[in-house]
Amino acid sequence: MTDDRDKLISEVVEKALQGDMDAINNIEDRVIRSKAKAALHKAKKAAKAVESSASDANEDKTETSPKAEQTIHQKMAILIEEKESGSVISQEGEEEACIYIKPESWESLAPILRNDDAMDFDSLQCITGMDMGEGILESRYNFHSMKLRHAIEIRIAVPMEKPDIYSIEQIWRIGDWFEREVYDMYGIIFTGHRNLKRMLLPDDWEGWPLRKDYETPQSYHGITVPKVKEEWE
Amino acid sequence: MGIIHGEEMVLNIGPQHPSTHGVLRLKVRTDGEVVSDIYPVIGYLHRCFEKHCENVTYEQVIPYTDRCDYVASMNNNLGYAITVEELMGIEVPEKVEYIRIIMAEFNRIASHLLALGTYGLDVGAFTPFLYMFRDRERILDMFELICGARLLYNYIWVGGVSHDLPKGFVETAYGFLDYFEPQVKEYNNLLTYNKIFIERTADVGVMPPDVAISYGVTGPNLRGSGVKWDIRKDEPYSIYNKFDFEVPVGKGELGTVGDCWDRYWVRMREIEESVKILRQALKALPKGGDVHQAIPKKIRPPKGSIYKRTESPRGDLAYYITSDGTPKPYRLKMRSPAFTSISVLNEISRGWMLSDVIAILGSLDIVLGEIDR
Repeated sequence: MTDDRDKLISEVVEKALQGDMDAINNIEDRVIRSKAKAALHKAKKAAKAVESSASDANEDKTETSPKAEQTIHQKMAILIEEKESGSVISQEGEEEACIYIKPESWESLAPILRNDDAMDFDSLQCITGMDMGEGILESRYNFHSMKLRHAIEIRIAVPMEKPDIYSIEQIWRIGDWFEREVYDMYGIIFTGHRNLKRMLLPDDWEGWPLRKDYETPQSYHGITVPKVKEEWE
Repeated sequence: MGIIHGEEMVLNIGPQHPSTHGVLRLKVRTDGEVVSDIYPVIGYLHRCFEKHCENVTYEQVIPYTDRCDYVASMNNNLGYAITVEELMGIEVPEKVEYIRIIMAEFNRIASHLLALGTYGLDVGAFTPFLYMFRDRERILDMFELICGARLLYNYIWVGGVSHDLPKGFVETAYGFLDYFEPQVKEYNNLLTYNKIFIERTADVGVMPPDVAISYGVTGPNLRGSGVKWDIRKDEPYSIYNKFDFEVPVGKGELGTVGDCWDRYWVRMREIEESVKILRQALKALPKGGDVHQAIPKKIRPPKGSIYKRTESPRGDLAYYITSDGTPKPYRLKMRSPAFTSISVLNEISRGWMLSDVIAILGSLDIVLGEIDR
């Protein structure tokens, strides 16, 4: 009896691996069906492990071939360094694909990013503020080129005591609102911005809400802020 | 004869006003009836989305994304789920991919119907609004069938979807498509080629492509300006590369490229393209398969950041997620397409009459929930 069952299970698993899930779903007996599904899961996992080790091997091969693996960020970091030497701080590896730029070189670098033929980043996708802890604030820019169809991420880190970054509002017009939002949430001052006011919060709001050390105020204009509920109160 | 300049006046529109599509306030400086400057004041619907996200787990963020763009919740769920999956390296079953595409495209049709219907309402056509809402209602009924909710679904989860398709859904969907396709022709007769509608929208509020790109305008608004850019085609995510569909762009058929009518027309044609995708997806939908199979027990992405864009009915919807290896996101930023669309309002409506500003604002198809977050 058990031999029959095992044989049946191995048969349907074989079928399912070829894409025919009905073979399993059509089994009448619930016990056998669930056993078959478990076996299928196991088989798939094993297949995946083999596959991934194979692809790992492939990656090893491509790494040895020079130049071909150069990412867009590596390419751009070299280009930027050519135009403005000393502006790139670091260019990190695969998991954090980005370029760190010195805050003081941003003013001369931003127009180059926009106008250089090899870069041509005409679209500013997003500016994300970030509190890195230890008194460091970051502004992260995601750029995209409509013509050349490539994208990069630029990061600028500034200390919390003097969070000044050059404003790019007049180069990419959407920078106006994005920078105001970052200012609103993190208090990063964008120097040269023509209208640096709060964007989403009321003008008289105090503090920078998305900083990690922000404390919710007790009241606003005489309205008490409800306290944070714990569990189910 | 030269232009006579009168005394300028500041007029306040909103925050409670039917044609601002939500709680938006516009400070308009006018010279008589001619607008010289618009300053949009936003933030009336700010609910601290990003702050909330830092205090809840990755799964708990999904209902919040529903409430950002509340007329296209499926697309918001999808964008978030795809971003987290890429950060964690999860692969979802093929059936889930198909279900997600079907839901996203149905929601795109529903969202465009609302946009076009209320746009007609803005410029004085009441009947098309009722026709389009009648049909949108059928789509919402279908969503109710699959997950019980009509507007805020919480349906697309990280690694899967919350419920499998109910029995008879595919037939219902085909039934809807068969009913819906001839309706588009009716909309065209009622609104698109209506003389009064054309007079109000053609040649009005022209947005040149370079202005649109500089202001970060995306989606149907950008395509209305003649730029062929659709993330579903140009940077395919999920399984969009499997489907055959066109990317409609504005051609200035009744006026100038990038006018209000072009933006309207791009949306109308996108509805037809969505129907095409839906027919292909319903045909190829795999029968068997467990929709919960790839849902992780614990969502704890490895350290790192990701910026991922998807095409929502309003344009590039992107999430920037930074993980520090804990079950809660360290930072989550939503780049909403409506936020960038509204920023261009001042640029393209200077010099137009006050009543045209309402037509231009309507053509941008904004949702305040997404702007203020």
